[in-house]
Amino acid sequence: MPGRSVGAGVLLGIGVASFLDETVFHQILHWHHFYDRSTSDVGLVSDGFFHAGGWLAIVVGLFWFADLQRRRTTVPRRVWAGGLIGWGAFQVYDGLVQHKAMGLHQIRYGVDLLPYDLAWDLSGALGVVVGIALLFGPAHPIAERHGSS
Amino acid sequence: MPGMAPAGASAASWLPLVPIAVVAALYLAGVRRLLRRGDRWPVARTTAAVGGLAVLGAALVPPVASHPDVFAVHAVGHLLMAMAAPLLFALSAPLTLLLRTVPMPARRRVLAVVHSRAARLLTWAPVALLLEVGGMYAFYLTPLFGLAHEHAWVDLGVRTHMVLGGWLFSTVVAGRDPLPHRPRLPGTLLVLLLAGAAHGVLAKLMYAHGLPAVPGVELGAQVMFAGGDLVELAMAAAVMSAWYAREGRAQRRAEGRAVMRAAL
Repeated sequence: MPGRSVGAGVLLGIGVASFLDETVFHQILHWHHFYDRSTSDVGLVSDGFFHAGGWLAIVVGLFWFADLQRRRTTVPRRVWAGGLIGWGAFQVYDGLVQHKAMGLHQIRYGVDLLPYDLAWDLSGALGVVVGIALLFGPAHPIAERHGSS
Repeated sequence: MPGMAPAGASAASWLPLVPIAVVAALYLAGVRRLLRRGDRWPVARTTAAVGGLAVLGAALVPPVASHPDVFAVHAVGHLLMAMAAPLLFALSAPLTLLLRTVPMPARRRVLAVVHSRAARLLTWAPVALLLEVGGMYAFYLTPLFGLAHEHAWVDLGVRTHMVLGGWLFSTVVAGRDPLPHRPRLPGTLLVLLLAGAAHGVLAKLMYAHGLPAVPGVELGAQVMFAGGDLVELAMAAAVMSAWYAREGRAQRRAEGRAVMRAAL
């Protein structure tokens, strides 16, 4: 079922983006701040939903993927398509809407932000484009590939 | 080990362990009764019950309970008491154990309570969510927090509400007990998302506005944010592992039917 593979991929992609954001940028590099005084209340609520949605997505995505594997109906190409779209869209939303429009926090403090913002948003956009490209082309479930039921 | 207790801790501070030990003994006695008559009871449920009660106990005695002035320690206690312990206890299916071990007349009375109008209302997912989240918002963002520190009865009431609210919520979302109406998977995930977002927003509001107005609230809020994530991750895994097992059973049934058809 290619559609389910895309769905599992999107959830995993969103989850990975959120996980990387939280661990790498918040906890390890300490570039992102827990809260900065520019944050609006709408920003707090949006952040709350995306943060909660991120880890929920990774759990649901992993179990969904496990179920596809058990049924041998996974289409790896479509999982990657969904994963890149989910990761890229989350990245762009985080970069444009949450960082900029809502002023949640910036990518890094005390530096010229433009190269960071461009790298952040363009990498996400590239992910979406590659993901969409992978939506096309042949879709082979793993059961077919191994020639078993 | 009273000799190792921090200053100010007395024998009385270990009293909460008594009712907890009683509940643990009752649970284990119930499991023993089932096993003796040859019924099965998953080890995971017994482990969850003992673990949940141990976590609750840890939150109610020193050192966690003996530092009411350090907000980060209070936050740890809150996470253990109102989130981690209730989730584990919900996974231990206490109601199922009760129904299977008490005599018939008592079972009828328990079932009458479970199916009563009040229980139906309380176990309706939006109500359970509101009770759990609302209690926390009211406690941390209003003068209720200060009142609980001045009056022991307010403190006891608030703690009881949080433990029961957390248990009710965990039971509705991830519990293994049968309920009159439990939301389907999309509804359950939506409730989890709302709860997770509400908890995250609460922790950031506390951090942003310095509420409750006590020293160390910033650290405590971050402890709550990260710890709340961990518990909700566990709750989501509990929900999805139950779904995975259900799907597996449905798949095996379908395969069994296909084999039967092929044989005919």
